[in-house]
Amino acid sequence: MNVSVTPQDDLSPNSPVSASDKRPSHLTDLQEAIEQAAHLLPSQGPITVFIHHNTLHAFENLPFDEAVQQGARIFGCHPYLTEDRYRAEWVRGRIRFAELREVLREDLKEAADEKVLDLCTRLELRLAMLQYPLRSGPVEELLWHVAETDALRRVRCEAASAIREQLIAETRHWFLRDLRETGNGRCRTERGNAGRECDAAGLSAILNGIFERLNEKTIEAWSNGEWEEFALRALWGICCQGVADLPPFVPPPPTPIRHRDLLLAATGADSDLLVHDILIRFCAAFLDQGLASWPLPHRDEGFFRAFCALYRMGRPPEHWRRGLSQELSRLEDARVSPLESIHESLEILGVSSAERHDYLAATLLALRGWAGMIWQMELRGDRVVRPVPRGSLVEYLAIRLVLERLALAETARDTLAFTGPLEALRDEARKYLDGPRPPSVEQRAFVVFQLAQVLGWVPEKLYRLSKQEWHVLLREIETFSSLERRRIFHQAYERRFYTRSLDALALHVRKPAATPLKPRFQALFCIDEREESLRRHLEELAPDAETFSLAGFFFIPMYYRGATDAHFVPLCPAGIQPQHWVVEQVVDPFDGSHQRRARRRRVLGMASHHLHLGSRTFALGALLATAVGVLASVPLLARIFSPRWTSRLRRRLGHFFRTPPPTRLQLERRETAPGPANGQVGFTLEEMTDIGERVLRDIGLTARFARLVLILGHGSTSMNNPHESAHDCGACGGSRGGPNARALAQILNDPRIRARLHQRGIAIPMETVFVGGMHNTSNDKITLYDLDCLPASHRDEFASVHALLKQACDRNAHERSRRFASAPLTLTFEAARHHVEGRAEDLAQVRPEWGHATNALSIVGRRALTRGLFLDRRAFLTSYDPEQDDAEHTILTRVLQAVFPVCAGINLEYYFSYVDNSGWGSGTKLPHNITALVGVMDGAASDLRTGLPWQMVEIHEPVRLLTVVETTPEAMLQVLERNDNLGQLCRNGWVHLAVLHPKTRQISTYHNGRFRDYQPQTSSLPAAASSVDWYRGWRDHLEFARIEALSS
Amino acid sequence: MAEAVEGMMGLGVAAIAAPVLLVVFLGIFSLLDQRLSERTINKAIQAAIVTGLLSSLGVLALMLALGARHVVVYVSEWVNTAGFHVAVKFVFDRLSVPFAILSFVLTGAIATFGMRYLHREQGYNRFFVLYAVFLLGMVMASLAGTIETLFLGWELVGLSSALLVAFYQERPGPSRNGLWIWGVYRVSDAALLLAAVVLHHMTGEGDFDRLLGAGPWPAGGASVSATQAFIVGLLLLAAAAGKSGLVPFSGWLPRAMEGPTPSSAVFYGALSVHLGAFLLLRVSPLLERSPGLCVVMVALGLLTAVLAYLAGSVQTDIKSALSFASLSQVGIIVAEIGLGFRYVALVHLLGHACLRTLQFVRAPTLLHDYHTLENAIGESLPRPVLPLHRLITEPTRLWLYRLALERGYLDSWLRSYVVGPFVGLFRRCDALERGWTDFLSGARSRESDDLKPTPARIEELI
Repeated sequence: MNVSVTPQDDLSPNSPVSASDKRPSHLTDLQEAIEQAAHLLPSQGPITVFIHHNTLHAFENLPFDEAVQQGARIFGCHPYLTEDRYRAEWVRGRIRFAELREVLREDLKEAADEKVLDLCTRLELRLAMLQYPLRSGPVEELLWHVAETDALRRVRCEAASAIREQLIAETRHWFLRDLRETGNGRCRTERGNAGRECDAAGLSAILNGIFERLNEKTIEAWSNGEWEEFALRALWGICCQGVADLPPFVPPPPTPIRHRDLLLAATGADSDLLVHDILIRFCAAFLDQGLASWPLPHRDEGFFRAFCALYRMGRPPEHWRRGLSQELSRLEDARVSPLESIHESLEILGVSSAERHDYLAATLLALRGWAGMIWQMELRGDRVVRPVPRGSLVEYLAIRLVLERLALAETARDTLAFTGPLEALRDEARKYLDGPRPPSVEQRAFVVFQLAQVLGWVPEKLYRLSKQEWHVLLREIETFSSLERRRIFHQAYERRFYTRSLDALALHVRKPAATPLKPRFQALFCIDEREESLRRHLEELAPDAETFSLAGFFFIPMYYRGATDAHFVPLCPAGIQPQHWVVEQVVDPFDGSHQRRARRRRVLGMASHHLHLGSRTFALGALLATAVGVLASVPLLARIFSPRWTSRLRRRLGHFFRTPPPTRLQLERRETAPGPANGQVGFTLEEMTDIGERVLRDIGLTARFARLVLILGHGSTSMNNPHESAHDCGACGGSRGGPNARALAQILNDPRIRARLHQRGIAIPMETVFVGGMHNTSNDKITLYDLDCLPASHRDEFASVHALLKQACDRNAHERSRRFASAPLTLTFEAARHHVEGRAEDLAQVRPEWGHATNALSIVGRRALTRGLFLDRRAFLTSYDPEQDDAEHTILTRVLQAVFPVCAGINLEYYFSYVDNSGWGSGTKLPHNITALVGVMDGAASDLRTGLPWQMVEIHEPVRLLTVVETTPEAMLQVLERNDNLGQLCRNGWVHLAVLHPKTRQISTYHNGRFRDYQPQTSSLPAAASSVDWYRGWRDHLEFARIEALSS
Repeated sequence: MAEAVEGMMGLGVAAIAAPVLLVVFLGIFSLLDQRLSERTINKAIQAAIVTGLLSSLGVLALMLALGARHVVVYVSEWVNTAGFHVAVKFVFDRLSVPFAILSFVLTGAIATFGMRYLHREQGYNRFFVLYAVFLLGMVMASLAGTIETLFLGWELVGLSSALLVAFYQERPGPSRNGLWIWGVYRVSDAALLLAAVVLHHMTGEGDFDRLLGAGPWPAGGASVSATQAFIVGLLLLAAAAGKSGLVPFSGWLPRAMEGPTPSSAVFYGALSVHLGAFLLLRVSPLLERSPGLCVVMVALGLLTAVLAYLAGSVQTDIKSALSFASLSQVGIIVAEIGLGFRYVALVHLLGHACLRTLQFVRAPTLLHDYHTLENAIGESLPRPVLPLHRLITEPTRLWLYRLALERGYLDSWLRSYVVGPFVGLFRRCDALERGWTDFLSGARSRESDDLKPTPARIEELI
C-alpha cells in the first residue's frame, strides 16, 4: 500500500505543532505521520451543510487513472464500473465499437499494430478481450463449467460462424492428415514435433483422452458436431499444456498490514467487531450536537480524557475488556499523553518505523467515517454548534489502539491459542495463511481457450508454439487485466458523450438562436445545471428575454441570519470564509407584530420541543400515549395518504405564526470593522460597488439593460431527507441562495451605487429595476423579494413577467417529471407541478429531486452561443463575454477560479458515488439513521456513511466533466499556466477541457498540455419545435437538439 | 339475528382470509421466481389490507349493534383424542378486535409509505412478501382463540422480523443482528411452546375461552391453581419478554434498526414490540390467579422502563433513541397489566403504537425539524436537565452514564454467560465427535475443516 500523498495546503493544520516544541522528535514525527494519514480520510463535514467535493481530493496531484487505481487499492473500492456494466452499455449502444478501437489505438500508440506472435495484432487481441466476456472464477467453478456445460462441445456463441467453421475444418484436416493412426503407423510423432519432442507425449495424452469419449473407429462417419467437440477438446488440452509452468505475470495482491486483517484472513475472526462496538457508540456521543438528552460527561476535556473518565472504573462482563480499566488508569496516572500512548501502542504491536505511515493510514481508515468526521470538526469548528478540541483525532487514535490491543489479544487467544506478545502476532497469523496463490493452470488456460475460439486460433497453430512463445502470448493476455480493460472501456464510454456534446455544440454555434437586441426583461440565474431547463423554457416562452448565469452566491460572501432564523449561516463556497454579516430586519412599523409572532413561535416551538422529548421519557410519555396517542394516527394517515394537501393545510394554519411582516436586508454598514453585532452588519458603499461591478463585468452585462432584471438564487426543500442540504446551492456552501440574490438586487437598485458604477463605466439606466428571488428546485416555486418596493411604473410589466416565470416553472416541473418513474409520461404542465409539489412534501419520498445527477458538461461563454440548444439539464452554464475581457484575461481567470472547483467537485463526487455506491458513496438511503446530528449510519451501529446515497445518483452517467470555455487556446493555456489548481485538474485529467474560439467558433480540445482542433463527426443536429416536443415520452438521457421555437 | 351472526362469522373469516390469500399470492410468484411488478404487488397489498380492515370494522359494528362481546370463528379441529385436543379458531372480543384493527391500519399506512419509500429498490418484492407474512402473523396472533393459533401467528411475526432486519443481506452487520434477534425469538418461542405444552398437560386444551373461564375478556376466571398459574405465567412472561424486549433481552431492539425505515417503524415502534404485552393481556385472567406472578411482572416492567429510559437518554442516533423510548412504554404497559389495569394497558398500547409509528416515519426528517424548532425558539435547542443529576454524586453519574451507554450490559451479559457457555458446550461435543470419527477413520474425517470461504467480492477490484 502506498500512501505517500502530499498534504493539501488548505487542510494542513498548524496549531498542534506549536505545542510540540518541547516534544521529543520521535513524537513530532509521529504527529506528522498521523496528519499525513488523516488526509486520506473523507473530508465531508456535518451533513447539515453538505458540500460536494472530489472524493479523492487527496490524490489530485496524480493523473486521474493512476489516482483512482491507487485510491481503489487503499480504500478497497471500485475505480470504474464493472466490466459487465460497460459491456451492457455497449450492447445498448452507449459505447461504440469505433470509438473503443480509437481509444485503444490512442492508448497503445505505435504498439497497436505490433504482431503478437503470428496470431494477430495487439489491437485485435485487446479488442477481442474487450468485446467478448471472458469467463473466470475459482478453480472448482471452472472445472465444473468445463465438465458440466457445453464449453467443450460447442464453440462460444459469440464466435463468428466463419471462424467457427474454420476452427472445425482445420482441426479435422490436421488430425486426419498428420495425427491419425494409419497403416503406416501413427504419424503423430513424425510431423507433430517440430522441435518439441516432449510434447508429442502430451498430444497423445490429449487425443487418448478425447477418444475415450468419441469413437475413433467411426471417425470417418463423424458428424460436424462430433468434429466440433473434437476440435474444442483438442484446443482445451493444448491450452492447458501450453500455459503449464509459466510464471505469474501479475503481481500477487499485497498482504495486509494490520494485525486484524491478518488475523481475519487466517482465522475468520474479526477483532474490529469488538473495537467498533464500543468505539462507534463513544464517537457518536463525543461528536453529538444535541440529539441525546444526556450529554457525554467530560466531553470538553477531549476524547482521551472523557474516555478514561468513563471507562477507568468498573468491571465489564465481556472478557476482552477486563484489562481496559487497568490500562486506562495506568495511562492517566502516569500522565501519558495521547501521542505517547500511540507511540507505546505501536511499539507493543511491533510496528516498525518503515511501515508506520501505512499502518497508521490503514488503522484510521478502518472506521473512516467517524475518524474523518472528528478530523473535519477539529479543522472547521466554525461549521458546528459544539466543536471538538484540536488534537481529537490523535486522542481517538490513541484510544483506538489501546482497544485494538485488548481485542487482538483476546481474539488471538480464542482462535489461535496464541498468548505471546502482540508484536509476534502478525508472524504467527501469517503461518496460517496460504500465501499468494498463483493462478491455476485451468484458470489461465480457460482465458486462452475462450480467446482462441473468437480469434480463430486453431489447435494446430497453438500446438506449434514453443514454450517461449506461450510465455509471450500469456503475458500479452494477462497484462491486459480486468482493471486495464475497465479503464479502456471507461474512456470509450466517456468518448461517446464528449463526441456527441462537442458535435452538438460545434453545429449549433454556427447558427445559434438570435438574442434580442432590446430585451424585454433579463434574468440572472445560478450556473447550476438544474437551472438550464428553466432558462430554456423561459426563453422559449419569451424569445424577447435574455438570460445570464453566475455562481449562485453572486459574489456576496456573507454570514446571513433571516428575521426568523436562530443562527448566522455562511452563504458562499466552502473555500471562502466570509468577512461580512447580513441580517434580515422587520420594517419598523411592523416590529411589534413581528415580536408578537416571534413570541408565539417561541412558545409553540418550546412546547413542541418539550412534547417531543417528553414522549420519549416515561411518565410524560405514558401520559401522552394513553391520553392522546391514538390521535397521532390522524397526522400519520394524512401525511402518508395525501402529503400535498396536508402540507397546504399546515401552511394555512402556520400562517398565524410564521409569515413575517415586510422585511429588508440590512446591507449597509456605517462602522468600519465588519462583525455580527448591531452596527457592524453589512458592507460599505464601496464594497457594494465592487460587488456590483464584479458581477456585471463577469457576466458581460454592462450595456443594453432591460427595464426589468430578475436575479434568482436557488435552494431546495424536501421532507424526510437527511441529505436535503446536498440539493441546495453548491456555490452557497450547501445553503439556499435566495438572500444573496435579494442582496444583489438591493445593491444594484441603490442610486448611490449606480452613480459610482457610472463613474466606473457601467451606466445602468434610471428605469432599470432589479428584483431578487429564489427558485426552489424541488417543488419548482419561485419566491420574489421586496416586491413592495417595485415602482408603480413597472407593476404591469412585472405582472406579465411574473406570469411567464410561473409558466416556465410549470414546464420545468414537466421536464423534470419525465425522469421520475412514478410520474406518468402523459402529465399536463399543471399536473406535473402538482406532482413535484407532492414529492417535496412527501415523507415517503426518497427522491424529492434528482439534484445534480445529470451533470456532465460545463460551458463558460456567452449565452448567445448556446441559446436554443436543448442541453437536457446536463450543463453548468456560466456567462462570460470574451469580448469584454482584457488582454490579461482577468475576468476569465476569476470566473474559472470560481466555477472550476465547484463544478469539478460536484461532478467527481457523483462519479465516485455512482461507480461504487456502497464504497465511495453512502449506499441505499432506506436504512439510514441520523446520528449525532452530523451524519447518517446504516442501521443502529455502523461507520458514518459519507458520499451520496444511491437514490441521489441512480440516473447519473459517470463521465468526467467536459468544460468548454469560449476563448482562444492561447488565452486558455495562459490561464492554466498561471493558476496551478486549474492547471492540475486539467493536466491530470480530472476534468476534460475544450475551448471554443470566440471569432472562428472552432472547437479545440486539450490533450497533454496543448490544444488540438476538433472536427465534428456528424453534419446535422436534430431539431424540434419546442423542448416539450423533444423530451416528450422519454425517460432516459437525450441527445442535444436545436429548439426551433427560439430561432423564429 | 341469526343472519347477523352469520354475517359476523363471514366477516371474521374474511378478515383472516385476506392476509392468508395475500401471502399465498405473493409467495407463489416468489417461489416460482416470477418477479411481480411494483404495481401488481401494491394492488394486492392494498386489496388485502382494505378487505381485512373493512371486515374487522364490520365485525366491530355488528358486535356493537348486537351487544355481542365474544364471537368465535371456528375453523377446524386439528387433533382430537381423549382428553386432549388442538383446535384452530379465532375470537373477536374487546381485546382482539381493537388490536386487529390497529394492525390493519398501521400496516396499511406503512405499506403505502413503503410503496413510495422502496420504489425501485432491488428487494421490493422480498420486502413485501415478508411484510405480508408479518401482516398474517399479526392478524393471526391478535385474533387467535387458542394458544396454538397464537403461536403460529407469533412464529410468523418472528420469522418476518428477523428476515427484514437482515434485509440488506449483502452487508455482514444486518445478517449478524438478524441472527441475534432470531436467537432471542427462538428462546421466546420455546418458552411459549413450553407454556402451551404445560397448559395442555394441566387442562388438556389450549382454547382460551375454556382455559380462561367462560366470561368474555377481560372477565373470566381461570380454572387453574395459583402454583400452576405461576409456572405457566412465568413461561408466558419469558415469551413476552423475548418478543417485547423486556429485561434481559432489551439489547435486540436497537439492533433491529438495520432494516429499511418503514419496517423499523411498524415492527419495533408499533406492532411487533407490543406483541408480548398483548400476549400477557390475552392471558391476564390466568395471570391474576397468582399474586406472586403479578409482582414479578410489575417489577420486570418497571425495571425495563427505567433501564430503557436511561439508555434512551444517552442514545445519539434517532432510531435507537426512539426504540428505547418505545421500550420504556412497553415496560410500563407490562407493569400496568401486572397491576390489573387491563383497559388502561390496552388504551396505552394502542395510543403508543400510533404515536411511535408517526415518530419513526418522521425520523429521517430530524435535522429539518430541529432546524425549524431552533428558528422558532431563536437559539440552540435547550437540553432538558435530568432530575437525577442534582441528586447523585459524580462517580455514580459516570457509572449510570456508562450503564446507559452500554445499554445495561445486557447483551454483553447474555453473550458472556448464556451464549458463550451454550456454544462452548456444543463445541466440546463437536470436538468429541470429531475425535471419534478421526479415530475410527484413521485420518482427518472432515473435508469441511480444510475449506476456505470464497472471497466476498467476485469482481476483481484492482
